[in-house]
Amino acid sequence: MSGTTAFWYTSRATGIVSLLLLTAVLVLGILVNRQGRLPGLPRFAVTSLHRNLSLLAVAFIAVHVLTAVLDKYVSIPVSAGVIPFASGYERFWLGLGAISFDLMLAMIITSLLRGRLNRTLWRAVHLLAYASWPVALAHSIGSSKDLQHGWMLGLGIACALIVAIAIIWRLAHAARQVPRAARVATAMARHLPAAGSHHPRERISR
Amino acid sequence: MTTLTDPSGPAMTATSVRAPAGLPRLLPQVPGVPEDLRAHVARHGRPPYRGGRGQLIQSVEAAGLTGRGGAAFPTHRKLAIVAAARGRTVIVANAAESEPASRKDALLLRVAPHLVLDGIQLTAEAIGASEAHLYLHPGTGHAIRQALAERHAAGVDWLAVTVTEAPPRFLAGQESALVNRLGGGPALPTFVPPRVTERGLGGAPTLVQNVETLAHIALIARYGPRWFRELGTAREPGTMLTTVHQPDGQTQVIEAEIGAPLRTLVSGSAGPGARAVLIGGFHGTWLPAAVAATLTLDNQALDRHGAALGAGVIAALPADRCGLAEAARVTRYLAAESAGQCGPCLNGLPAIAGALAELAAPGPRRGTRQNAERWAGLVTGRGACGHPDGTVRFVRSALTVFAEEISRHERGLCAATSRKPFLPLPDGMPTTEDDWT
Repeated sequence: MSGTTAFWYTSRATGIVSLLLLTAVLVLGILVNRQGRLPGLPRFAVTSLHRNLSLLAVAFIAVHVLTAVLDKYVSIPVSAGVIPFASGYERFWLGLGAISFDLMLAMIITSLLRGRLNRTLWRAVHLLAYASWPVALAHSIGSSKDLQHGWMLGLGIACALIVAIAIIWRLAHAARQVPRAARVATAMARHLPAAGSHHPRERISR
Repeated sequence: MTTLTDPSGPAMTATSVRAPAGLPRLLPQVPGVPEDLRAHVARHGRPPYRGGRGQLIQSVEAAGLTGRGGAAFPTHRKLAIVAAARGRTVIVANAAESEPASRKDALLLRVAPHLVLDGIQLTAEAIGASEAHLYLHPGTGHAIRQALAERHAAGVDWLAVTVTEAPPRFLAGQESALVNRLGGGPALPTFVPPRVTERGLGGAPTLVQNVETLAHIALIARYGPRWFRELGTAREPGTMLTTVHQPDGQTQVIEAEIGAPLRTLVSGSAGPGARAVLIGGFHGTWLPAAVAATLTLDNQALDRHGAALGAGVIAALPADRCGLAEAARVTRYLAAESAGQCGPCLNGLPAIAGALAELAAPGPRRGTRQNAERWAGLVTGRGACGHPDGTVRFVRSALTVFAEEISRHERGLCAATSRKPFLPLPDGMPTTEDDWT
C-alpha cells in the first residue's frame, strides 16, 4: 500500500464511519426531541451523546474530505469540501457531499451559538438534519463503488431503514402528544376527582 | 368637588400644589369617586417632567420605594439597570398581577387612572423609554382608555401608551409571560436569565412595574422622597394598597400606611372574628388569627413568621369555615394554573392538590399529610417561574396552621358550620391552548 492508496483507503473508511455516526446522531436527535430514553441512560446523557457524536462525526468528515483532497490519484480541490459541485471528479455526487456537510456546519454553528439565538431560528436550522442526512446517504452510495453492492450496500440500506423507523416513530409520537393545557388537565385528572366542592359533606359542629 | 363641573377649569392651569398630608395618597379624596384629569390636576398638578433620562431615579432611591406587585424589589435598582442600557428601552405598566384575591390594581385603574398614567410618563422619561405599554385584564381598561383620550386632548403625555389585555390566567402577569404576550406570543413564563430588564420586548431592555408602584413614583416626583417617608416605616416607607377580605364576606381595597397594625385593617378582629388570616395572596402564607392580630403591615414583621406582604392581600377566614377546604380549593386552582412547562410543577402540584383534597374531607388518612409535605419539598425551586415555590409556601403554611383541623378530620369531625366558599376563585377551568393568548 503506497502513500497514495493510504489516503484513498482512509478517505473511504472515514466516509463509512461518518455515515454510521450521522445515522446515530439523527436517531439520537429524534430521541432528544421526543424526550425518549435509552436503556440505562438518564435523559441528559441522551442529549450529551447526541451532541458529542455530532462533533465526532464532523471530525471524521474533516479527515474524510482532507484525505480525499490529498489523494493525488484523482484531483479534488480543497474547496470542493464545502462548495457544492466544485470538483471536476464525480461533480454531482461529491457536490451532494459538500451540501450535506454545509448543512451540518450550519446546525453545529447555530447550536454552539444557541444561547445567543432565539429558539425558533435555532430549531429551523436544526430541522435541516432531515435534509442533510438523506443527501449524505445519496453522496455515500453515489460516489462509492463499494457501497453499491454486497454487504456495504446492505449497511447503507440498514441505515436508511433505521432512520425511516425513527422518523415514523417521531411522527406517531408527536401525534399522540397532549397539548399543553390538556397536559395540565390530564395531570389533574390523575390526582383529583371530577370538579366539585372539596368541602366535607359530613359536617359535625363542635 | 365643584372643580369637576366648572367649565372654565382654573385647575388645569395650576402649577404648584401643596404636598398632601396623611392618607389617602393614591386613592381619591372622596372615597370611590374616580378622579378625571381636571380633578387630578387640581389635586396634584401636572406631571413634573425632569427633562432628561436618569433624573428621577435618585429621588426614587432616596424615597426607598419597593415594587408593589408582590416581590418588593427596590424600584430604583430596576430603573437604574434599564436606564443604563444602551439603545431602545421599553416600559410596561403591569396591572395584570392576576392574583384572584387582589382587587387593588383594577381599582386603582378605575379611580386614579391619571396617577398611573403620570407614573408611566415620568418613569418612561427617567429610563429614556421609547415605547410604553399598559397590560391589564379585560374589563378593567375603560377608565384608562377614557383618561388616555383626555390626556391626548390636553397634551399631557409625551409618549403614547399601548393598552394590551392579558389572558385570564394566574401566570399571565408574570414578567416574562407578559413580555411574551406583548411580543405576540402566548403568555407563558420563560427561564431567566436573561431578565427582561436586560432583554425584554423585541430584545430591548424592558422595565416592568406594577401600576401601584408607578402611581407612587408619580407622587414622589411631585412631593419628593422626604414627603414619601412621612408615612411607613424607616425600612419600608410609604403607603400600600391592600385588598382585605373581611370575615363578614366583604372585600375592601384599603390604602394603609406600611407598618400599620393588621388588626386595624381587619374588621371585627376583636370579636369572634377570624379562624386564620391569609397574607400575601394565593402564593402567600396562612397565619393563625391570634398571631396575625399581633403583627404589623410590613415585611420586616411578617418575615419573622415566614410571611410576606406580596401584592397586599389580607384574607381573614371566618370562624365558621374550614381552612383545609379553602386551602384545597385554592391549591386545586393553582395546580390547574400551571403553565405545564416544567415537570415538577405539571406533575407535582396536582399530586399535592389531590392530597389536600383528601385532607379536606373528614375521614382517616394515612400518610397523606406526609406525602403532601414530601412532594412540596420536591417541587420547590424547580420551575422556570416562582409558581411551584409560591404554591408550596401556601400549602405548607396551611398544613401547619390547620394541623389541628387535620387531626379533627381524621377523627371524622369538622369544626366548620358553613360550606360556603370564602376565597375568590375565577369561574371555570381553562382547557384550551387559546387561554394563554
